[in-house]
Amino acid sequence: MGLDSLMLQDFAVALIVLAALSFSAWKLMPARRRLQLLLALDAWSARHPSLARWRERSLKPRIARAVGPGCGGCAAHETRSSQRPR
Amino acid sequence: MNPASPGTPGRVQGPAPSQPDLRAPARFISMDAAVENKPLRIALVGVPNCGKTALFNRLTGSRQKVANYPGVTVERREGELVSTDGRSLRVLDLPGTYSLNPTTLDEAITRDVLLGRLADTPAPDLVVCVVDAVHLPIGLRLALEVKRLGLPMVLALNRMDVARRRGVKIDAAWLCGELGVPVVPTVAVRRGGADALVEVIEAGRWIAPRAFIPAGQESSREDADQIQHDLQGLLSASGYSPPRENPWFGRIDALLLHPVAGLLILLAVLFVMFQAVFSWAEAPMTWIEGAMNALGVFTAAHLPAGPLASLLVNGVIGGAGSVLVFLPQIVILFFFILALEDSGYLPRAAYLLDRLMGSVGLSGRAFIPLLSSHACAIPGIMATRTIPNWRDRLTTIMIAPLMTCSARLPVYGLLIAALIPAKSIGPFNQQGLVLFTLYAAGIVSALLVAFVMKQFARDRQYSPLMLELPDFQWPHAGNLLLGLWERVKIFMSRVGGIILALMIVLWFLSSYPEPPPGATGPAIQYSLAGRLGAMLEYVFAPIGFNWQIAIALVPGLAAREVAVAALGTVYAMSAAGDDLSAALEPVIANTWSLATGASLLAWYVFAPQCLSTLAVVKRETNSWRYPLIMAGYLFALAYIASFITFRVVRAWA
Repeated sequence: MGLDSLMLQDFAVALIVLAALSFSAWKLMPARRRLQLLLALDAWSARHPSLARWRERSLKPRIARAVGPGCGGCAAHETRSSQRPR
Repeated sequence: MNPASPGTPGRVQGPAPSQPDLRAPARFISMDAAVENKPLRIALVGVPNCGKTALFNRLTGSRQKVANYPGVTVERREGELVSTDGRSLRVLDLPGTYSLNPTTLDEAITRDVLLGRLADTPAPDLVVCVVDAVHLPIGLRLALEVKRLGLPMVLALNRMDVARRRGVKIDAAWLCGELGVPVVPTVAVRRGGADALVEVIEAGRWIAPRAFIPAGQESSREDADQIQHDLQGLLSASGYSPPRENPWFGRIDALLLHPVAGLLILLAVLFVMFQAVFSWAEAPMTWIEGAMNALGVFTAAHLPAGPLASLLVNGVIGGAGSVLVFLPQIVILFFFILALEDSGYLPRAAYLLDRLMGSVGLSGRAFIPLLSSHACAIPGIMATRTIPNWRDRLTTIMIAPLMTCSARLPVYGLLIAALIPAKSIGPFNQQGLVLFTLYAAGIVSALLVAFVMKQFARDRQYSPLMLELPDFQWPHAGNLLLGLWERVKIFMSRVGGIILALMIVLWFLSSYPEPPPGATGPAIQYSLAGRLGAMLEYVFAPIGFNWQIAIALVPGLAAREVAVAALGTVYAMSAAGDDLSAALEPVIANTWSLATGASLLAWYVFAPQCLSTLAVVKRETNSWRYPLIMAGYLFALAYIASFITFRVVRAWA
């Protein structure tokens, strides 16, 4: 069964639309609410050692960005942590 | 004896003190001990425009914005410096300040960090005081003030290359002996220009001088007098002589700051910029448009007909792709803005316009925030922290969204290209002239709003502009490329992020529910979006907007350029068969009247179609009152301006 199947196409489209809806809601959410959600996710992931790597690499920098100023789309006033290349 | 001069320091082991100790003698601190438990925290402090952010970028590999004017950094920023033996050091870039007795919000951040007053930011373990070697006295004065806090300190003499060229002789070793802290020459904009500083930091050869101010307290008037006295003594003992002035700079300044010639040059610069946005971008825009059309045709040809093909062709390529076309115009606009920023011309423009701005009740300090708003209103609103008077700051915040931000450029570009013929009037491109007029309309209306706000203000005192004019310099190619790359990344991430996501949602709303059997009109008319557009059309019909525009304005509330993508999706969904991936511009040219196009342009000069801006206004004013007032007055202005424009153009055309 390939993309010729209308049912499969409907399923793929539904997934894409749901993902786009979630992403839009996340991006348009007030910054404070977004930070609250991230902190809740951080607290939850802290209880799961298997998620430690993801927490350090992905979640913590995201929280740092959420705490920072700006709309998130502007480098001019973005707070970020970066490392000097060696 | 100068009380700030240390005695012979002795080496002690132990953690770096986070607060100054009034009784402690000057001492060396071991970095090993300081970093034993937590990363060492280093703060970069200095007067505005001395090169702190350039040094921060050099130390941390970060890419924060640098420019040749004061007030670029209004927030503390943090980065990481990894030492050669793999230890992590946290570097803080602080807003520039002339003293630790702040007059503005951004200066207060620097004072609060140094005094350890911020709950989330402990006092730094080491202060790197950045002093512009070309303008030594002003930087050295701040260094003496910081030194009195008793925090471990290193003095970075930045721009040493320029200082040497201009005949400033500074004996770093002598200064080190006099100040009692390490003094390191740096050239922050050059690769390897901060290596000596990194070496000193890594070797732990830095000193906590004696504290003269109790922990957590600001310096008093007596302290300020003493610092001034110390500075005079230091400068006369060092045999300091001011830098040689370049005679050309004086002549250029005389011309650029002339009340008539200067204004004409400023107008000419802006005029050339907007002409270039249209003339230079034409070819690359045609290439991108062709590529998008080809991609649409290819996708439609290789996917079986159905919802997935419609989503990709109409939603993704027809929507987000129609915004991507405007990338060359954005790049050209920012090329000019960044070049002007780096050259040192912008503060001169601020000086020129100070009288005009003062006459409508704006502080001269509002110029830089308003100029930043031409890139994006959000950094512009944040940059108002440099304005000390609350009334002046509020006025600047309220008018910042009227400056034409880069998100408006796709909307203007699309409508101008579709409705204004690409003819020349003398040497000028007609489309460029219209774009210049739209930018001017934003500026003039901002001045008018400021004037009206001034009439309601009880305190009409004028705050004079005190601005340090930076030296002229050729725009640094590296800065220019980096700045352009950042803008391209921001634009692409918006197109590939929120714009794409909203277009997929809009495609869904424009496709479902499906039309009933026997329906004759385009499917979108029967969809949720179509019904919403039909309802909104009642509101927008008096200003000439059709239902497609009404639909596009709704997702366009998230960000202005989303409206272009939304129009792309809505028109693609309204079309049939082979027209699915047709370009938006000819569709608008064939179906809209000039009055409708002009009315939409007038709408976008005023309408606050950016939720992020309103959110930032709420945060900066700490109240919902001001963003609500802002949204209310801007929407009212937008509707009135569109109504008048539509009626006048329709009658005239």
